[in-house]
Amino acid sequence: MKIRSPLRSLQGRLLVASTLVLPIVLLIAGFALKNAYSSSLETAVKDRLQLQVYLLLGSVELKEEHIRFPESLHEPRYEKVGSGLYAAIHDKEGSLLWRSLSSTLMDDLQLSQKVDTGFMPAGMPRFKHLKNDGLYQYQLRIIWEQAQQEKSMLFTVMESDDQVKRDISAYTHQITLWLSIIFLVALLAQTLILGWGLRPLKRLAKDLKDIEQGQSTSLQGNYPNEVEAVTNNLNGLIESEREQRERYRNTLADLAHSLKTPLAVVHGAANEEHAYADYKVLIGEQVERMDQIVQYQLTRAVKSQGKPLGKSIPIRPIVERITNALSKVYREKQVSVQVDIVDELTFPGDERDLMELLGNVLENAFKYGSHQVTFSASANKGRLRIRICDDGPGVEKDQRQVIIKRGERLDNSIQGQGIGLAVSTDIISSYNGQLEITESPLGGCCFLIELPLG
Amino acid sequence: MKILVVEDDPDLRRQLVTALEARNYTVEQTSDGEEALYLGDEYPYDLAIVDIGLPKVSGIDVIKHWRNEGKEFPIIVLTARGDWQDKVEGLEAGADDYLVKPFHMEELSARLNALLRRAAGHAKPVLEYGPISIDTTGRVVYRHGEAVKLTSYEYRTFEYLVLNAGKTISKTELTEHLYHQDFDRDSNVLEVFVRRLRQKLDPDQDLQPISTVRGLGYRFALNPTSSDS
Repeated sequence: MKIRSPLRSLQGRLLVASTLVLPIVLLIAGFALKNAYSSSLETAVKDRLQLQVYLLLGSVELKEEHIRFPESLHEPRYEKVGSGLYAAIHDKEGSLLWRSLSSTLMDDLQLSQKVDTGFMPAGMPRFKHLKNDGLYQYQLRIIWEQAQQEKSMLFTVMESDDQVKRDISAYTHQITLWLSIIFLVALLAQTLILGWGLRPLKRLAKDLKDIEQGQSTSLQGNYPNEVEAVTNNLNGLIESEREQRERYRNTLADLAHSLKTPLAVVHGAANEEHAYADYKVLIGEQVERMDQIVQYQLTRAVKSQGKPLGKSIPIRPIVERITNALSKVYREKQVSVQVDIVDELTFPGDERDLMELLGNVLENAFKYGSHQVTFSASANKGRLRIRICDDGPGVEKDQRQVIIKRGERLDNSIQGQGIGLAVSTDIISSYNGQLEITESPLGGCCFLIELPLG
Repeated sequence: MKILVVEDDPDLRRQLVTALEARNYTVEQTSDGEEALYLGDEYPYDLAIVDIGLPKVSGIDVIKHWRNEGKEFPIIVLTARGDWQDKVEGLEAGADDYLVKPFHMEELSARLNALLRRAAGHAKPVLEYGPISIDTTGRVVYRHGEAVKLTSYEYRTFEYLVLNAGKTISKTELTEHLYHQDFDRDSNVLEVFVRRLRQKLDPDQDLQPISTVRGLGYRFALNPTSSDS
């Protein structure tokens, strides 16, 4: 079995993309949360240590050069060695004045952390995380006024960061767990949402299959707006395909029907007494008639129905090809052709239709014109206007409609006259356009073709 | 005038050949494109009638090939579909005219005549040379306004000389353009035709329409009365 890349399906693409993007987003979110939590924990430590400094300040007693504390401090942890909470007081020169019992195992340097008290302004606390020592440190320098004497002292309180580390680790653990759950739930939700969101496309595929198998004739049901444009176009396509088939069938029926009359005439003539010359004339006439019927019906059946899907054909090259070809055929007339059309102008339909339409009208102009044929086309107010003029004898007013409508009454058509213009008229009307014959400034007649654009 | 008919339908081909031969043309025929390529390359035709839908090599390709090889003889394409796509493609490939099937032989004959005349540089169908005139459409020669009775080969010989007026035409060239490939080229039949033509067209021997260029061939020597060229 062939393994298909998941990227070949829309759902696969979206899932692959979110599987890649979601973890990154969650990682960033987890990192931000952890940072915010540690920062809030540190703020709490800072507040706590500040409180401790103030409590120490409150209970300290200064006697001469010595400091004294009441027998037992308010915080029992100061009394227990290695309890995790330590305090010390240094004088201006950095000499240790007092240290808590809990700090017995630490050296003085570690307690003071080499603070140069001279540079530390009084009343401005300093909070630091001494990562190497695993301690948070809060220091405050105060100036003690006593008997007109100022005494500078540095209060240091330190707390072990073990608790904070434990809290953060537990928090990280939790957050990892929850973010993983979010990831899985989001992925699952996305899969379900995608399945639901793309269901109309699956339905479309199924409906198309139904049409293919002849179980349905068009895409029915409510499709979402985004898909509706496609289904409408598809329905148009299917419909035009169906109409085309219908037309072929009708054409064949028309063809069979209209061919039967001349065939009947020929058949009947075989049972009559005629001179050979009369036979020749009769057969000739009927063959001509049948030829025109076949030609007309075939052209009608093949031409598109003027509902192209986003096609537009540049007109200029087609006109040039046809006029070059016709100039060759009518070389002896030395017809001068003037084509006035901008390169960008396009015909909103099938190339074959345009060629048939213009070929027949242009040939008419070459055939009946004396030496001059002009072609001009322009687009204006959503309509394409094509004007083909010649300098021939022109067409009498009462004959103009007859020429245009010849195809409609084919059985009575006059021998020897083509059906080209009738085909052109047919194509024009299938594009909801109009054809008009007017007098030409060159002396002959002009064919005015108007077609809606778009 | 030698015409090549390339048409795969045997009935239509037979009709074409019969009709053209009845109009005093020398006709050769083939039913497929491949042979047409070969014939066009090998033999000097004056015109070809080519059906677009041919087996093996399409009519369009045959025409393109000939034109690429520098062949300049006029070509009429026959198309069954009759749509402009076909017509324009045929003409763009190098054909000079087209006919949609079915067609009247008269129509074909008229187009063919016009092309042959045009190839020879004449615009009008009737060419006049003093008392002698030749109607290329009706394929009749007049002397002082009266039709001269010519046999098919006599007419062909005369027409070829007239359409190439002023040029000396060798016996080989005349033979190639008037007869089928298997014609016995050593016979003196051409001399006989020319002698008879001279007798019929110039019984008093005061016009000398056809002069013999010794060792080279024949030349139509009269000057046109009308001003076409």
